[in-house]
Amino acid sequence: MSTYYASLLAESGILLLGALSVYIILATGQLSLGNGAFMGIGAYLSSWLTVTMHMPLTLALVISALVAGLIGAVVAFPALRLKGIYLAMATVGFAEMVRSFFLNFEAMGGSGGFRGMQHISVGTVWLWAGGILIAVMLLERSRVWLEMQAVHDDETAAGLIGLNTTATKISAFAAGAAVAAIAGGLFAHHNVYIEPANFGFERSVDFVLAVILGGSTVAPGSLVGALLLVFLPEVLRPIADWRLAAFGSLLVLVLLVRRQGILDRSLIRALTFRRLAA
Amino acid sequence: MSRIKSNLPHILGILAVAAVSALPAGSAQAQTREIHLGAVVPSSGPFAEWGRSNTVALKLLEQQTNDAGGINGAKLKISILDDAAKPAQAATSLRKLSGDDKVLAIAGPLTSSAAEVAFPVANELKVVATSQASSKPGTAKQNRPWAFRNTIDEGVLAKTAVPYFKKAFNVKTVAIIFDAKDATASTVGKLIMPAVLKANELTIANDNDLLSFNTGDLDVSAQVTKLKSLNPDGVVIAADYSQAITVLREMKRQGLIKPVVGASQLISSAILKAAPEIPVIAPATFYATMKGEAPEKFTAALTPLLRKESGLPKDIEPNMFDANIYEIVSMYIDAIKKTGVTGKPEDLEADRTKIRDYMTKLEGFPGLGGPIGFNDDGDAIKAFYVLQGQNGTWDTKVRGCSSAPNHPGC
Amino acid sequence: MLMQQLVNGLTLGAVYTLLALSFSLVMGILGILNLAIAELFMIGGYIGFTLVDSGYPLPVAVLGGLAVAAAIAVVIEKIGYQPLRDAPLVTPMLSTLGFSIILQNIATNIWGSDPLQLSIFGAQYQIGPVSIGEMQLIVLGATVVLVALTAFIVQKTPMGRALRAVAENREVARLLGVSADRLMMMAFILSGALAGVAGVLIALHYGAITPYLGVEIGLKAIAVMVIGGTSQIWGALVAGPLIGIAEVLTVAYGGSQVRDFVVYGFMILILLLRPQGLLGGIRSDQGQRV
Repeated sequence: MSTYYASLLAESGILLLGALSVYIILATGQLSLGNGAFMGIGAYLSSWLTVTMHMPLTLALVISALVAGLIGAVVAFPALRLKGIYLAMATVGFAEMVRSFFLNFEAMGGSGGFRGMQHISVGTVWLWAGGILIAVMLLERSRVWLEMQAVHDDETAAGLIGLNTTATKISAFAAGAAVAAIAGGLFAHHNVYIEPANFGFERSVDFVLAVILGGSTVAPGSLVGALLLVFLPEVLRPIADWRLAAFGSLLVLVLLVRRQGILDRSLIRALTFRRLAA
Repeated sequence: MSRIKSNLPHILGILAVAAVSALPAGSAQAQTREIHLGAVVPSSGPFAEWGRSNTVALKLLEQQTNDAGGINGAKLKISILDDAAKPAQAATSLRKLSGDDKVLAIAGPLTSSAAEVAFPVANELKVVATSQASSKPGTAKQNRPWAFRNTIDEGVLAKTAVPYFKKAFNVKTVAIIFDAKDATASTVGKLIMPAVLKANELTIANDNDLLSFNTGDLDVSAQVTKLKSLNPDGVVIAADYSQAITVLREMKRQGLIKPVVGASQLISSAILKAAPEIPVIAPATFYATMKGEAPEKFTAALTPLLRKESGLPKDIEPNMFDANIYEIVSMYIDAIKKTGVTGKPEDLEADRTKIRDYMTKLEGFPGLGGPIGFNDDGDAIKAFYVLQGQNGTWDTKVRGCSSAPNHPGC
Repeated sequence: MLMQQLVNGLTLGAVYTLLALSFSLVMGILGILNLAIAELFMIGGYIGFTLVDSGYPLPVAVLGGLAVAAAIAVVIEKIGYQPLRDAPLVTPMLSTLGFSIILQNIATNIWGSDPLQLSIFGAQYQIGPVSIGEMQLIVLGATVVLVALTAFIVQKTPMGRALRAVAENREVARLLGVSADRLMMMAFILSGALAGVAGVLIALHYGAITPYLGVEIGLKAIAVMVIGGTSQIWGALVAGPLIGIAEVLTVAYGGSQVRDFVVYGFMILILLLRPQGLLGGIRSDQGQRV
C-alpha cells in the first residue's frame, strides 16, 4: 500500500477514536465540544512517558487513558447540572483552558511543541482503533448501553425507575475522555511531533462532525465519518481554492437530507440482511 | 424482501467513485523525458495568500526553465499540493508527492508547524524537503540529513539587527511584546531577543514580565498601554507581520511612537502601511524593491503575474517566501544538471541521494540576494540585509551574512 | 495607566456586547447557537472597509454592512435553519457551522488572507491621562444605543412581544395566531443586522481585518452571553464590559498568558454557580436535551 494511503488510513483511525469518544458521551444525551482537550492530555502524557520515562507505548497509552478518564469524571461532576447547549459551551470553555495551559507549559515545549516520539505504523494505530471500535460495538449490545439510552431519551423517567443517572453520565464522560486520550497518544506517536494548536476547538469540532456526518446513532457511524473527513479533502484537491466551502456545503446538505448521518440502524440491517439473504 | 432497497451497491458505488478519483492520475512520462519536482504550499486556510503567490512563482520558474530548453533536454514539471498550513496534511502531501508521484525533491512546507511533522517523513522516505519560510530555531537541525531550510535562524539575524537598532536610534531601554501562540515569535521574544539585547548592553524594561498576545487577537490596547507606561526607547515586536500590524496600529493610536525591531517575520509590504511614522527594523533576505540585477529581474517578471492572478490583491508584490521557494527549486534544477541525475524511475533513490549530497555541500549558489550555501544544521548561509521600514518604503541599512564555521561566507 | 486600561476594557467590552447580543437574540428566541454570526460580523467588517476605502461616508458603510449581513442571514435561515427547526438543537447549530466555513472560504477568496488595512479613522483625543479615538467613542455610543434599541423592540413593540411568545412556547404561540416562521426569520435578520453593524464599527475602529476575525471574538462573545444571561438583553451590556475590563486588567497586572484562563474560567463558574447568568434568564440546567 502506498505510504500516502497508509498515512491517510492512520489519520482515519485516530479520528475514528476521537469520534467514538464523542459518540459514547452523546449516547447519554450530552454533547461534548471539548474532547480535543482530552486528546491533548493523552498526547502529552503518553509522549512524556515514552520519551522521558522510556515506557513502552502500550503501557503509556493505558496510563494516559486512565488519567484522562479520571479527569473526565472530575469534569463530569459539575457538568451534571448543565444541559444541551450550555454543557457544550462549558466543554468549549474547558478545552480552551486546557489548550491555554499547554501553551504555557514550558516543560513540554509550550508553543514550541514537543518531539522525540518513536514513529508508529498504521498497523499499530488500527490495532487500537479497531479494537476499541469492536469494544464499543459490543458495549452497544449490553445492558449498560440500554441504561445510557434511557438517560438519553428521558433523564427524569430514567431516574424514576431507579437507574443511577449520575453514575451513567459520569462513566460515559470518563470513558469518552479515555478513548480520546488514546487517540491523542496514537496521534503523538504517528506524527512524532505535537503542539498545543493540534488540540484546540477545531479538533473537537472535527470529532463531532465525524459522528454527526457518519452516523450518530450507531458506533460504526464514527468509522464512516472518520473515513469521510480524512479522504474527502484529498478527493477535493482539484478545487483547492474552494475545498473548505465545498466541505461546509456537504455538511449542510447531509444535515438537511439525512439528519441521523450516513449510517444508521436500518441501513446496517439492510446491508447485513442482504448478505444473509444472498 | 422487496421493501428493502438494495443500498449496498449504492454505498459501494459512492465509495468506489471516491476512491478512484483519489487515485493519482498515472503520470505517463514514458515518451518525453520529464523531471518531476514537488512543492507543498498553503493555498487554502490562514496563509492562503502566501501559498498562492508561491504557486505563481513556481509556475514562472517552470515556464522559464522549459522555455530555455528544459533540464538537459528533459521537461520540468512541478507538482504543487496544498497543505492548508495543517501539519497532518503537509505530511500526507509529502507522502503523495514522494511515494505516488515519485518526485526527485520537494520544496516546502512553508510553516514551521507543518515542517516539524513533514521533515521526519522526508527522512523516513529519503527525499529532500526544503522549507521556504520556516525559521523556528532547530526545525531542520532535528531532522538531518534530508531536511533543509532556505532561511536563516532568527538568532543569527538578531545579532546584526539589534546593534544597528541601538546605534541608529540611541536606544538604551527596550520593552518586549511577542505572539505567544506562534512558536518562532515566542522563541524570538523570550529567548533570542533578551539574550542579544543584553549582549548589546540594552536594558529590558519588562524583563520579568514580558508582554504577550495571541495570534488573531483583535485588541492589544491593554498590552500597548502597559508598554507605554514603561517608557522605553524602543520596542521589540516578536510576531508575524500580520499580527505585528495590530500592535503597530495600537501604538500609533495611543501615541507610542518609538522605533521597533523584530525578526524576519516582520518583512512585508503590508507592515509599511500600519504606522508609517514608526521606524521598523527587521532583517530580510529579499524584499520587493531590492536593488541588483537578479532580484530586479525576478520582481519585474513575477509582479505582473501576481497581479493578474485572481484571488490575490491588486497591489501585491513578490515577498521573501516567493524569492525563497524560487531559489529552492532553482537549486534543485542546478543539482539535477550538475550531478548526473537521470530522472529514470529505476534511478529514483540514487537521484534523490545525489540531490541531498548536492544540497549538503552547496556553496556559492547564485541566489537572488547573493550566494547561498547550507550549514551543518541545514539552514541557509546567505546574505541578509537589515532594513528600516519607514514612511512606506524599506531602506537597506546593513548587510550581513549567516556564515558558519567551516563554511565559506557570502 | 489604570484609567486608560479601563477605557481599553470598555471598548473591548463593547465589542463583546454587540456580538453577544446577536448570539443571544437567536439563542433566546430559537434556542440554538448560530455559529455563523461570527462570520456575519467579519463580512460586515469587510463590506464596511470596502465602502470606506472607496470614499463613502460612515453611515453608508454601516448600512452596507448591515444590509449584506442581513441578506446572508436570510439565506442561512431559509436553507440552514427552517428545514431543521424541529431537529435536536445540535443539528441546526452544526448547520450554521457549515455556513460559517463557507463564508470564511468566500471571504478568503475575495479579499485574501492577509490583513486589509485602513488609515486610522477619525481623530484621536487626549482627555487627561486617557487617549481615546473618535471611532472608539462611536463604538461605545453605538453599543449603548443598539442595546437600548434592541431592548425596546423586544419589550415594547408588538413584534417584540410576539418574539417573546415564540421563545416561551412555539406551539402555543402558533395557536394564538403568531406567525412563528416569520418571526424566526425576523430573529435571524435582527441578529444578522446587529452583527453586521458591529462588524463595520469595530473593523473601522481597529483599522485592520482578516477573514479569521470572527473566530476568536466569537468564542469569547459566547462566553459573555452565558455570563450575562442568555436571553437577557441588558445582561450583554453588563457582562461585556465586565469581561472586557477583567481581560484588560489581567493583562495589565497579571500576565498576558493567563487571560484566556480568566475569561473561560469565569464562564464556567457562572455556569455552575449561577446558571441563569448574572442578570437571570433561561437557566442553563434546564435546556433541551441534545
